[in-house]
Amino acid sequence: MPSRLIVRAVLSALVSTALVAGSASEAVAQKKGGVLKVGNLGEPPTLDAHWTTATITEVLANHIYEGLYSLDAKSQPTPMLAETMPAVSKDGLTYTFKLRQGIKFHNGKEMTSADVVASLNRWGAQSTYGKTLYARVAAVRAVDKYTVEMKVKEKTAIVVISLAIPNNSAAIYPQEIAEKFKPAEKATEWIGTGPFKLVEWKPDRHIKMVRFDDYQPRKEATSGYGGRKVVHVNELLWMPVPDAATRVAQIETGELDFADDLDLNAYERLKKTAGVQAIVAKPYYWLVGVFNKKEGLMTNQKLRQAWQAALDIEPIMKNVAGGHADLYRMDSSLAFVENAPWHTKLQGLPWNERNKEKTKRLLREAGYKGEPIRFMTTQEYKWMYDFALLSKQQLEDAGFTIDLQVVDWATLVKRRNNSKEYDVFTTGMGNFYDPTHHIYLGPNWPGWTNDEDLNRLLSELAGETDYKKRFVLWEQVTRTFYDRVPVARYGDLFGLRAMRSHVKGFDTTLMRPRFHNVWLEK
Amino acid sequence: MATYLLRRLLALVPVMLVVVTIVFFLIHLIPGDPVAVILGPEANAQQIEDARRELGLDRPLHEQLVRFYTRLLRGDLGRSYFLDRPVTQALWERTEPTLVLMAGGLFVAVLIGVPSGIVAGAYQGSWWDRGLMTLALLGVCVPGFWLSLNFIYLFSVRLGWLPVAGYASVFQDPVAALRHMLLPAVSLGFNQSALIARIARSCMIEVLRQDYIRTARAKGLAERSVIYLHAFRNALVPVVTVIGITMAILIGGAVVTEIVFNIPGLGRLIISAILRRDYPVVQGVVLVTAAAYMLINLVVDVVYAFIDPRIRYV
Repeated sequence: MPSRLIVRAVLSALVSTALVAGSASEAVAQKKGGVLKVGNLGEPPTLDAHWTTATITEVLANHIYEGLYSLDAKSQPTPMLAETMPAVSKDGLTYTFKLRQGIKFHNGKEMTSADVVASLNRWGAQSTYGKTLYARVAAVRAVDKYTVEMKVKEKTAIVVISLAIPNNSAAIYPQEIAEKFKPAEKATEWIGTGPFKLVEWKPDRHIKMVRFDDYQPRKEATSGYGGRKVVHVNELLWMPVPDAATRVAQIETGELDFADDLDLNAYERLKKTAGVQAIVAKPYYWLVGVFNKKEGLMTNQKLRQAWQAALDIEPIMKNVAGGHADLYRMDSSLAFVENAPWHTKLQGLPWNERNKEKTKRLLREAGYKGEPIRFMTTQEYKWMYDFALLSKQQLEDAGFTIDLQVVDWATLVKRRNNSKEYDVFTTGMGNFYDPTHHIYLGPNWPGWTNDEDLNRLLSELAGETDYKKRFVLWEQVTRTFYDRVPVARYGDLFGLRAMRSHVKGFDTTLMRPRFHNVWLEK
Repeated sequence: MATYLLRRLLALVPVMLVVVTIVFFLIHLIPGDPVAVILGPEANAQQIEDARRELGLDRPLHEQLVRFYTRLLRGDLGRSYFLDRPVTQALWERTEPTLVLMAGGLFVAVLIGVPSGIVAGAYQGSWWDRGLMTLALLGVCVPGFWLSLNFIYLFSVRLGWLPVAGYASVFQDPVAALRHMLLPAVSLGFNQSALIARIARSCMIEVLRQDYIRTARAKGLAERSVIYLHAFRNALVPVVTVIGITMAILIGGAVVTEIVFNIPGLGRLIISAILRRDYPVVQGVVLVTAAAYMLINLVVDVVYAFIDPRIRYV
């Protein structure tokens, strides 16, 4: 037995040495230095990761902060600031997290359990996902300097995934900051443990981040948002460029090294531009019409089913994607293909039926008399307006009367919280990493889905920890979804980004961009 | 003159008060919620309510107005909901780009407009006149954003002579500042140069018909002296008025130019603030803009006295 152990130890040492040597030789090929200029669509509402679900904050904040866990290429939790996956007690009620030692914040202070406890408590009181988890949390405490314990009230599957998701994330702040800014107040000091350190935020000009020299990458290979992160560039300069046409022109001329959220109509032009690589960002959003189920016409399930039966989704998607087949996908699963653990392949779902007869029958059964249905959308997101407009044509052909109300985004997000002001609104659904996070299935989000069967299934999903059983429950949720139709699911739309050919090492498979491991070859 | 200036400056106060009050109600009448924008698309109603309470947006409108006046008396314009900084700081950070853009636009407008008007007026009916006035007509008709996008395509994307967008401070890098500002200034100034040219032309034509011009010519003065010394100066008062109006128009025109050329000025700030319902910032920008309009008018009135000694203020 001891000899086996020795052999294993020697083998492990050899493998580790080979890995380190491999990464070292790789590092020779990678150039260090330079300023990477990234054009994005505007200003973040905050850089406080606990505070908002805004995508732009997610992208920026994940360069500054890290959480205990992150997500790998298969959308599975992987340790980041935690040393390993948590130890879970036999009754499933106690999670023990061992922290990595010697991790420094950007202010030079070492990260300890006190910082983690303060940060998680703040996140649990403010973040959308944190609140969901903390509804099940009994207590979080520091066991010693590098150990944190979380006790939950009942067995749940969502502890680690909630701590790993990158949006509105459980970022770890220094204790002083986590306690100085109460949860309902935006933090205005931005110090994390991430590979980039924020040095300047000049609204409407730039957000400047520099390489954090004391950053300690993990040893594991990079995978998705997790694993080893190495910063090659000296400076990461985020430049808000609200006009999409200007962003395209700037990437063409080389004023920007990378541009995100580009107009899909620029796809062909970018593909033909020398020195530019057009990147299709997958996934982006699945398009959705959210029904008001609290009051008004769409509380009628038959009417919602009629809407679903009427849609011919492919021409809508093709049009929204500027006619490019590689910028959209026809899929009925509630989880994206890229979110492999939860992607379903159910057959016979009433999706994309384009069935006028069925629609007419359901409209009759619903007792619909042609009353105008208030369908709220915005032109601030062109894809929302486009799919609403095309839906209106199809639905009116099938017997609906649609009152398309075009408002600005600020009005839409206010009015959608008032059940008296609309029947349907447009939005997009991003990547939800756990079935319990699909906000449109629950009663607390605009549209107010409050279906007894869905609630029961989601409650079972939250309490079940066995993946196979959870997946079966998730398939049941999907079938129930297509019967109750809390929202109308359209197809998957992809995003468009572009980079200059001298930008190397960028992982084009990531849903949101990350600039660690990226270098400039110029 | 001093009494006149003081009176005009004091008159600013009630006007500004009326302006900010109207804007306060207008911006609050538009539906929309800053908090829902800030919190992101996945925030629920409870989170939105909590944040509204934190920002004081749950208070009745009249209470918010009184709080706004109280702060204003102390010189405090409040704090931006979105930018996490005082409004005065946000305004100050964006003043330089807008002033530089306006100055550049005005320079281009005057540089093209005044000589074109003089030449067209002095040689009425000539090919010069027809050519310049056709150009002026085009200048009035072509939308600024269209011109901007075409300039970008031609001079930046195709020829690569100038940057597409962005801003460099004149105090830190004057050469880069000039390169960044050239296209925006020309785009902004070209439209206005047409207006100036047309006014300058008609004023020149009118002045050149006056008796004292005939007298000057009868004395045997050279045509150049007649035009530049006698006609031009007398045609200048309406031209200065138009230049003053142009400056005011440029404040509005700068909004589109700043967005297309990605210049971090006041125009871009107010558009973003309106879209995000960042009420304190909207009020702050309107206050500054209204003050700028009134001060420009005051300066124009004062300049009259220098151009035309017959004008006196008491």
